[in-house]
Amino acid sequence: MSDALLDVRDLVVRYGTVTAVDHVSFTVDAGETLALNGPSGCGKSSTVAAVLQLRRPEGGEVRFEGRELTTLAERELRPLRPRMQPVFQDPYGSLSPRHRIRDAVAEPLKVQGRWNPADGPARVAELLDRVGLDPAYGDRFPHELSGGQCQRAGIARALASEPRLLVLDEPVSALDPSIRAGVLNLLTDLQDELGLAYLFICHDRAVVRHFADRAIEMRAGRLVTA
Amino acid sequence: MKSQSEPTSDVTPDVTSDVTSDVLLSVRDLRIAFDGVAAVRGLSFDVREREVLAVVGESGAGKSLTTRALLGMLPKGATTSGTVRLRGETDIAAQRGRRIALVPQDALSALSPVHPVGDQLAAAVRSVAGVSRKEARARAVSALDRVGIPDAVRKARAYPHEYSGGMRQRAVIAMATINEPDVVVADEPTTALDAELQEQVLRVLGEQREAVGAALVLVTHDLGVVREHADRVLVMYAGRQVEQGPTERVLARPRAPYTAGLLASLPPDAPESEPGARRRRLPSIPGSPPTPDALPPGCAFAPRCPLAEDHCHQEEPGSWTADAGHDVSCHRWDEVPYPATELFLEQPV
Amino acid sequence: MKPVVRKSVSQAGLTRFVCLIAVLATVGLLPWLSGRDPALTVLRARSAEQEATPEALAAIREDLGLDAGPLSLLGDWASGLLRGDLGTSWVSGTDVLPSVVSGVQVSLGLMGAAFAVAVLLACALVAPVLVRGRGSTGAFAAMLAAVPEFLLATVALLVCGVWLGWLPTSGWAGPEYMVLPAIALGVPAGGLLGRLVADALPAVLDERWVELWRGAGVSRARVSAAALRRVLPPLVPQFGMAAVGLTGGAVAVETVFAVPGIGRTALGAAKSQDLPLLQGSVLALLALGLVAGALAALGRRRLLGPALRDAGLTLPAAHPVRAHPAVPLILAVVLMVTIGWGLLRDPYTVDTTARLLPPSWAHPLGTDGLGRDVLARLGHGAASTVGTAAAVCAFSLLLSLALGFLPGVAAGAADIANALPPVIVGILVAAAAGPGTGGAALAVALISWPALSAHAAALVQEVRASMFLTAQRAIGASPLWILTRHVLPSVAAPVTRHAILRLPGIALALAALGFLGLGAQPPAPEWGLLLDESRAYVERAPWAALAPAVALALLAGLAVSGAAYAQGRTGGRRTGEAGRARITKEEASVEVAVRADV
Repeated sequence: MSDALLDVRDLVVRYGTVTAVDHVSFTVDAGETLALNGPSGCGKSSTVAAVLQLRRPEGGEVRFEGRELTTLAERELRPLRPRMQPVFQDPYGSLSPRHRIRDAVAEPLKVQGRWNPADGPARVAELLDRVGLDPAYGDRFPHELSGGQCQRAGIARALASEPRLLVLDEPVSALDPSIRAGVLNLLTDLQDELGLAYLFICHDRAVVRHFADRAIEMRAGRLVTA
Repeated sequence: MKSQSEPTSDVTPDVTSDVTSDVLLSVRDLRIAFDGVAAVRGLSFDVREREVLAVVGESGAGKSLTTRALLGMLPKGATTSGTVRLRGETDIAAQRGRRIALVPQDALSALSPVHPVGDQLAAAVRSVAGVSRKEARARAVSALDRVGIPDAVRKARAYPHEYSGGMRQRAVIAMATINEPDVVVADEPTTALDAELQEQVLRVLGEQREAVGAALVLVTHDLGVVREHADRVLVMYAGRQVEQGPTERVLARPRAPYTAGLLASLPPDAPESEPGARRRRLPSIPGSPPTPDALPPGCAFAPRCPLAEDHCHQEEPGSWTADAGHDVSCHRWDEVPYPATELFLEQPV
Repeated sequence: MKPVVRKSVSQAGLTRFVCLIAVLATVGLLPWLSGRDPALTVLRARSAEQEATPEALAAIREDLGLDAGPLSLLGDWASGLLRGDLGTSWVSGTDVLPSVVSGVQVSLGLMGAAFAVAVLLACALVAPVLVRGRGSTGAFAAMLAAVPEFLLATVALLVCGVWLGWLPTSGWAGPEYMVLPAIALGVPAGGLLGRLVADALPAVLDERWVELWRGAGVSRARVSAAALRRVLPPLVPQFGMAAVGLTGGAVAVETVFAVPGIGRTALGAAKSQDLPLLQGSVLALLALGLVAGALAALGRRRLLGPALRDAGLTLPAAHPVRAHPAVPLILAVVLMVTIGWGLLRDPYTVDTTARLLPPSWAHPLGTDGLGRDVLARLGHGAASTVGTAAAVCAFSLLLSLALGFLPGVAAGAADIANALPPVIVGILVAAAAGPGTGGAALAVALISWPALSAHAAALVQEVRASMFLTAQRAIGASPLWILTRHVLPSVAAPVTRHAILRLPGIALALAALGFLGLGAQPPAPEWGLLLDESRAYVERAPWAALAPAVALALLAGLAVSGAAYAQGRTGGRRTGEAGRARITKEEASVEVAVRADV
């Protein structure tokens, strides 16, 4: 099990007396896609937040690249965070409305001390191009893009951190049907090219079957065997 | 709620457009604009007795505005032309509740938070049927009971926040059907719901529709819902009709590139696809749908269409009849291949 | 989530309690806080001929128990309070309680009548919106709500009482004496109430349930009634605040019309340094406000019943009044030209040969009772009033930005500040520190920061809950980076706009204190003071009163019409629902704040 990229064991998330995630265990190997589905309120989002350590779980282990994250202090965790990036459902909500796309994509580089004024802009243009966005869109604000373009910008920003795992939280369900396939294709291509692993939250069974290597299902905070 | 159970719908696919005796709702050349920006641009269709018509389109297609026009509930500031007739009458607002009713989008927030649910249903009964308060309450309770809300007498006195999500959805459907309308208009009733709730809502909606013998206009962007529930389908793009016809024919042999592209880009719904299947790229439509204030010249879909020629970029297509009851608006409708998989397979960027 | 909410609620409750105790302690400690020697006041009041020898003063001090120190002073006052003993007036030597009781009786009568006026006016404003189904009451109601009571009272006195001679303008001898004060007090409150309801209605009519109801065939009358039912419960606390506002307005109105109510008693006591009487009457005013608030809370519970627990009960954001952009611009230009012109002239030169002159080329707005140029005084008054208001604004802004990050504290303090009309705080400050520009500024600042900090707290909360901030943590950004790059920029800009927008309202509040003699002192040319001075010779020189009155009305108009232009460009045109909602929310809070100010 130690060779899994992400190894979640007995994860427990509680809000007061309510147990949202009840001893959930799964693994994601490098380069594979694990789908996590289930009805709304089943604890998917809490699981995502706990895996990303955006909300510290009440119990269990989250081992990523062999390191146990739950016992790390926030300061120790910070340098590890870039390796594991989220892509959210709402394409507009995940980008700051007051920053241009260019700045949003450059921000991870700056935060992580990898920004270099000489080649930074070229790197941003390259990332935008990689997700199928004309680099000219870098000058725009999120609200000046369509939902699909915005979601691509969000993916470019996630890639800027050079992650090994993307946590995709319903990445296409807020998009118009005619642009969903394009975004899914982009994710497929990125995986082939960069060897990314995906933890893919989705409630559309057909999409899950098409997109995922394995699927697990949650109900009322617990995993059910499919 | 699909055809088999009732005889009327059985013949629907064969009804040709010149047979209009059972037409309930008739829309002709409907145009809606806001501040000079045209959101709906010349829409014509009929809804017949007891049929399910699906209206398919994505954001900016104008489907929500169309449903409001059907109910005479367009917001102020809208300029409209064309006609909407319900059983031959144009004053739709006077027939709301009695003959046509709305199930709004996002039913979870569609009930007033400060009124007991039973009172809300009773208000609809009293306004339309003019019965006594007591009678209205009794009907509200039985309507709640009909949609499967347990202990309806007590639940009628409860407030929406005391209902679960699923029960609120049912109560909304009960309210829309309580006066036994001829047409129920459901505006994206399943959007933003998880798969299980979606199924539940569509089932209750279908049961109620059958119970009161109403036709259903089902607005959705989910082709899976269309396939399973609609007798006929109207596909909209950028405020216009792209294609209209019996569901089986449109889905089996789409004539418009947009419809064909939408169908092709759905992940294959094989029960257990072989492991290698997911490696395949999905066919996809490039670009994004236009906003009403920035429509391209000619056919609005042309910039995204792999079949588009110069002509398509210059002139808006008229309407052609592909076969009986199946109309399409595309200059190259008879050249659209099916399946359109190859047509919409883009190269990796 | 839930424990966090509960925590901030209890924190707010605690702050509220602490604030209340602090206010009560301030009232109790007034004799000590005032610092100046009250013995002198008392001596003068008791026997004007007696020399102010140290022995006489010491005797009085001992008599009043002033030497005992703050704690025992507070203890004495509190224990007296518990026994129902409010002490003895320093000036008249009589018991305070009877004066307070008779003042409260008169004021209750006046407030009752004013409340009736307010409700009638509110109904008149709401009715057309309900009938039309959409739209709001527009600038007219906003203007009614923004005109301060002291201005309305002066104008009513001038027009109905003096020029037309229809109604008595002074005293409290029968029902006809009640008419003008009740109108002056009730109209701004009615404008506010009517606007709150009328502006909330269109937003409520846009809610999704209205679609379901209409789509199910519910009649327009039933939908309207249901919308009214929907809109009232969340507004009831605001009604309570309006009732609290009446207590503040009562001070000004009772003073103008010489009504022997509790407000005038309090003001008189403050001016004559009669601290026991002041303590009693301020306490009565606070109690009136608290009772009004409690009644509002009770009414809310009665109205809502079991629906109260639903979090979805908050009202959707109202659409602000959209005046033509030229309106605030023209108002601002007219004010600036007048002020600029006036600044070039000399406001202090007394010319007894040119007293009460009508407008002419030499004196475009005439002269006042001492022959001073009214235009000059108006211009110089604006400079000092606006300057002070700007300082108050800046102070409030800094405080609110700091407190925005402590929502619990801010909410509790805001509650108390909302329950205190600026006039009462002004009275307290004036009693403690003596009347003056500084005291008035402090009083207004004490009242004006909470709305800003509530706005800041709401924005901080919104930004912190946003997905893009979560994304910041995920890329490994440090808290400092997140604070400086994302949270502060999102909060500072809108709150600053809001603060600038409150400037006219704050200036009006300062003018109100000046008018009551609690702010700038003669011969300073402060606007409220100008209006107050001109009342003495209003029959002979109406222009002298009219000039500051019109200027103040223009300022109120500027506050209202400018509010709609406060929003920034954060959302942009294509943001869709989310962006638009964010803007309107900001606009709405700005709007409410502007209304609450004036």
